[in-house]
Amino acid sequence: MSQTDTAETTANRTDGEGVSTTAGETVEETRPEWTCHETDGETKLAVGDLDVHYGDDHALKGVSMDIPEESVTALIGPSGCGKSTFLRCLNRMNDRIRAASVDGTVEFDGENIYQDGVDLVELRKRVGMVFQSPNPFPKSIRENVSYGPRKHGDIETGLLARLTGRAEPDREEDLVKRSLERAALWEEVRDRLDDNALGLSGGQQQRLCIARCLAVDPEVILMDEPASALDPIATAKIEDLIEDLAEDYTVVVVTHSMQQAARVSDQTAVFLTGGELVEYDDTQKIFEDPESQRVEDYISGKFG
Amino acid sequence: MSRATRTALVRDDRTAYEAAAGAAVGISGIVFVVGLATLLGVVGIDDPVAGLELSVLFGVVLLALGVTVVGFGMASRLGYVDAAPQPSAGIVAAAAFTGIWFAVGAAVSGAAGIGTAGRLAVGAVLGGSAFAVTAFPREDVGSTVPVGAVAGLCGLSLVVGVIGPGWEQALVGYNATLFGDTVVPVVVLFTSLVTGWSAAKAYGGFGARGRNVGAYVLIYLVVGSILTVLVGLVAFVTVRGLPGLFGGFSVGGASLVSWPFLTNGAGLTADVAGVFPALLGTVWLVIGAVLFAVPTGVGAAVFLSEYAEQGRFTGAVEVATNGLWSTPSIVFGLFGAAFLIPRFGNQKSLIAGMLTLGFMLLPLVLITSREAILAVPDEYRDASAALGVSKWKTIRSVVLPAAIPGIATGVILGVGRIAGETAPILLTMGGGVLPGKSAAPDVLGGFQLSGSPPFVSNPALLEATSALPYQLYALITAGLSGNIENPQEFAWGLALTLLLVVLVFYAVGIATRYYFRRKLHQ
Ligand SMILES: Nc1ncnc2c1ncn2[C@@H]1O[C@H](COP(=O)(O)OP(=O)(O)OP(=O)(O)O)[C@@H](O)[C@H]1O
Ligand SMILES: [Mg+2]
Repeated sequence: MSQTDTAETTANRTDGEGVSTTAGETVEETRPEWTCHETDGETKLAVGDLDVHYGDDHALKGVSMDIPEESVTALIGPSGCGKSTFLRCLNRMNDRIRAASVDGTVEFDGENIYQDGVDLVELRKRVGMVFQSPNPFPKSIRENVSYGPRKHGDIETGLLARLTGRAEPDREEDLVKRSLERAALWEEVRDRLDDNALGLSGGQQQRLCIARCLAVDPEVILMDEPASALDPIATAKIEDLIEDLAEDYTVVVVTHSMQQAARVSDQTAVFLTGGELVEYDDTQKIFEDPESQRVEDYISGKFG
Repeated sequence: MSRATRTALVRDDRTAYEAAAGAAVGISGIVFVVGLATLLGVVGIDDPVAGLELSVLFGVVLLALGVTVVGFGMASRLGYVDAAPQPSAGIVAAAAFTGIWFAVGAAVSGAAGIGTAGRLAVGAVLGGSAFAVTAFPREDVGSTVPVGAVAGLCGLSLVVGVIGPGWEQALVGYNATLFGDTVVPVVVLFTSLVTGWSAAKAYGGFGARGRNVGAYVLIYLVVGSILTVLVGLVAFVTVRGLPGLFGGFSVGGASLVSWPFLTNGAGLTADVAGVFPALLGTVWLVIGAVLFAVPTGVGAAVFLSEYAEQGRFTGAVEVATNGLWSTPSIVFGLFGAAFLIPRFGNQKSLIAGMLTLGFMLLPLVLITSREAILAVPDEYRDASAALGVSKWKTIRSVVLPAAIPGIATGVILGVGRIAGETAPILLTMGGGVLPGKSAAPDVLGGFQLSGSPPFVSNPALLEATSALPYQLYALITAGLSGNIENPQEFAWGLALTLLLVVLVFYAVGIATRYYFRRKLHQ
């Protein structure tokens, strides 16, 4: 798909929404300097000129952004603009999609994770992910939470470990409890840790997946709409958790809620239809005085 | 919008019409069941019932049903009852009655001595009229009149005795004769099925609701008869096998339970001949085959669905395994005899049988395991990968546990097949017709350690061993004779034992599947 084609498509859609931008203006409106946000802290993830194709479908177009350490970065944008795709690039989960091909670089602590010889298992231990739709294993709640540490050998629970006295049931209990507490789920499930996780409600499953990710103790946590199925109270708890996590972790969170982005994030990236990163800056700047007209329209609800 | 086709939302006042239709459905059902009983030989068609021969009584009832069904149709057509018939009974019903009346016409004219061309002509005329009567009038007429005509004709021929107990007809060109005690039940079953269907439609007031009720009745009667036949088959073997199985059985005494048929051999020293060697042979055979086929089959399935690139290669393997599964067992037997036997001491042996049956079981385990693994949602794999867990650990701790119920299903089906196989055993395992107790394979006690390779040996695995289906076969080919008291009873007892062994293996497999399913879902 050529550049003009995309521009036209975008223009048609905006026309449909009643905003009178023309094809010419749309192309002009994307300026590189709107996305080169100077970060305060150390850069944890540096994305350079990232392009993603699904077959012939160009889903992300030349995205570059620096994600600072120990902060919350929000990704917002209309449905289908490539937020999940971008997130999946950061821990190379896109490798698991047959049709996807990724070009560009993502530097994690200065090392390009798209070079040869990267250990994906190790990378994903450090860059954890909470998926858009909850996907607990068909196992007990306890096993779901302790799954990662068990498989990494951090906690030994097998028969052999028990026989040789290396099993640490207390440490496992402790880890399960702490992770569930942080994910605001402990109170609801403390009495039924051995029940199957598939018996939980959608919102509970969502928090269980957050707990499962936290139990592995990654450095970066990628969250794809972590509060989409939650009531206001649980959402508030998850938002508190995200702010909390930013003390030690780097959090990247996709959200459809402007208020949520404004409340929890330090910087916000706005993607718009067609897979381009239009503006990336401090959250306050994005919400109060965005450079791009389209971003302003999107945020004020006129578009997308 | 037209609301002409709407029927009342609540139909709680049961009219006399509905009651009559319900009764007609019930009577059709009873006739169907009794017809089934006569077909299975539980009741004779010439048994007197209420002063009439059963076949005549069948005729009277069918005749009455036919008249009643036509009455329902007419009552609806003339507007006496509140029904919602559609404009036509539909093309499926029309085609069915065309076929039925074509057959009736051809059969009747054939019996009257008309030649082939004439028979076809009569059949075509009757079939065509049946089509017209079914398809063109309104549904209430179209789905009752042809039925009434069938029931009337069949009922009348039974009453008059055109077909009945003494009836027989030589089939020209085939070396066979049809007898009344087969034809009458078949006619009765078929006719009661169509009257039941038609009465059920009337009960539902025709239209969508009527078709629904009609389909229910058809399905219930057909399923019921299939189940009856299956249960009848098992009951038949059980009734005949019980005397043999429990010959000399006693509870109490020195050994608490004494069950000589299962614990004795058939040698001269045994006072009650038993099947112990063959029973043990079958059990070890199945265990050996499963131990061989399950790890290899599941391993291959894991490779094919998780590691191999899906494409031409996996497609070819799939076609090949499907082909192997449908390969006749005697071919596997020949392979075992020509390839395995020379490698295991050049004589028929237990291990050759185990491996041959293992090869037979392998394709099914492979196919079902592959399906089960592919059916595990990708979300589980993604979730595990995103937690930084390697592929092999993911397979072992998420994919395989989720696939176990499916794998167990495959093993259950396969065990049911191989436990009853005769041909491969005949060629690879042998064993005597009536082995004595000493011929029973002592697999567990047979292991011996030695100082030279292969360090472990087990003579029990290398000896010719009998198995239940093979012993049954051998007994029958030997003319059911031998040094036992009652070979007939012995053979039926043997058959029942085989049935029970297969059922026990099934039960184990189903329990496994149930256990893992529960674990996955609650
Ligand atoms: N597995 C896939 N195969 C092919 N195309 C895909 C795949 N995943 C996403 N896409 C395409 O990539 C584009 C971006 O999708 P993506 O899921 O990243 O959107 P999103 O911004 O997360 O949307 P939402 O807010 O609805 O979750 C869409 O046009 C989508 O059709
Ligand atoms: Mg998404």
